[in-house]
Amino acid sequence: MAFTRRLLLLGAAALPATARSQGQPADHAHDAAAPAPAPAAPPAEAPRQRGSAPPDAYVYIGWPQDRQVIYGTRFKVWFGTRNFGVAPAGVTKANTGHHHLLVDVDLPDLNKPIPNDRNHLHFGLGQTETMLELPPGTHTLQLLMGDADHVPQDPPVMSKRITITVRPGRPQAAARETQ
Amino acid sequence: MTRAQLLARLGAGLGAGLGTALLLAGPTALAQRHPMPETAKVYIIWPADGQVVRGGFWVRMGLSEGGIAPAGVEKPMTGHHHLLIDVDLPDLNKPIPNDRNHLHFGLGQTEARLDLPPGRHTLQMLLGDENHVPHDPPLMSKRITVTVLPAPGG
Repeated sequence: MAFTRRLLLLGAAALPATARSQGQPADHAHDAAAPAPAPAAPPAEAPRQRGSAPPDAYVYIGWPQDRQVIYGTRFKVWFGTRNFGVAPAGVTKANTGHHHLLVDVDLPDLNKPIPNDRNHLHFGLGQTETMLELPPGTHTLQLLMGDADHVPQDPPVMSKRITITVRPGRPQAAARETQ
Repeated sequence: MTRAQLLARLGAGLGAGLGTALLLAGPTALAQRHPMPETAKVYIIWPADGQVVRGGFWVRMGLSEGGIAPAGVEKPMTGHHHLLIDVDLPDLNKPIPNDRNHLHFGLGQTEARLDLPPGRHTLQMLLGDENHVPHDPPLMSKRITVTVLPAPGG
């Protein structure tokens, strides 16, 4: 991943007048790398230019709802997206992105690719729902869109962070609960 | 059409990035349909079958075991949504028509705002590939009926 990003930065520096630096000063990549306020910030850690998103774009968690109590540790989460499109990871297209589900974690650094671990689930195929399995207890869920390279848009397209309570139980019990 | 014109048309097709299979078989051949797993399905999350709505409303489109990709993007296990309004299924071996009865969501949208005249309407979803051709097997939702009442105050 670090290698890929370095390549991207090199690309941006070598082709300053291409679409990558659209609407930005020609030497944007250098500007971003040069100030380096942190003492040991290498150029590869410079903030990467973020894609734009329309101001009315938003995502939301269609189900479950905030403060929902879920019986059963395996349940479906569906992702709502409005005024924005879904595209798989690696596809660069204006006003599109793919979903990331943040589980029990704060927002990551919005200027970097979203981490990929058990707290940051990636849906790089362009999925719009998932089956989630969580241990009993209280959990938080939040959606965050990322672009072709998993970097959030500017402004970021993200949902409210919701809290759910998972209780052990059979799926049938969960179905009754939600009806 | 002369042979030269035919070749020119084929060349234009190449330039437009049509599928190789389509080109090899000639311009009149049926488009090759992409496979999708049997477990994949599309469904209308909202409204429910038989729902009564007042005025304009949003349709939420769901997809299980697959991904959304904008039109023009070729990637296995993905497609983009089409919403069929008051119309039967089209020919599944051809690109889905693009008109007021066949709405395309080529940007990868998963929701659609509809403003339908008052009365009964049918809605059905059909997934299409990068060239708007349904998959094999086709991924389509149940065809539902909604009743639209006049908008409040209108």
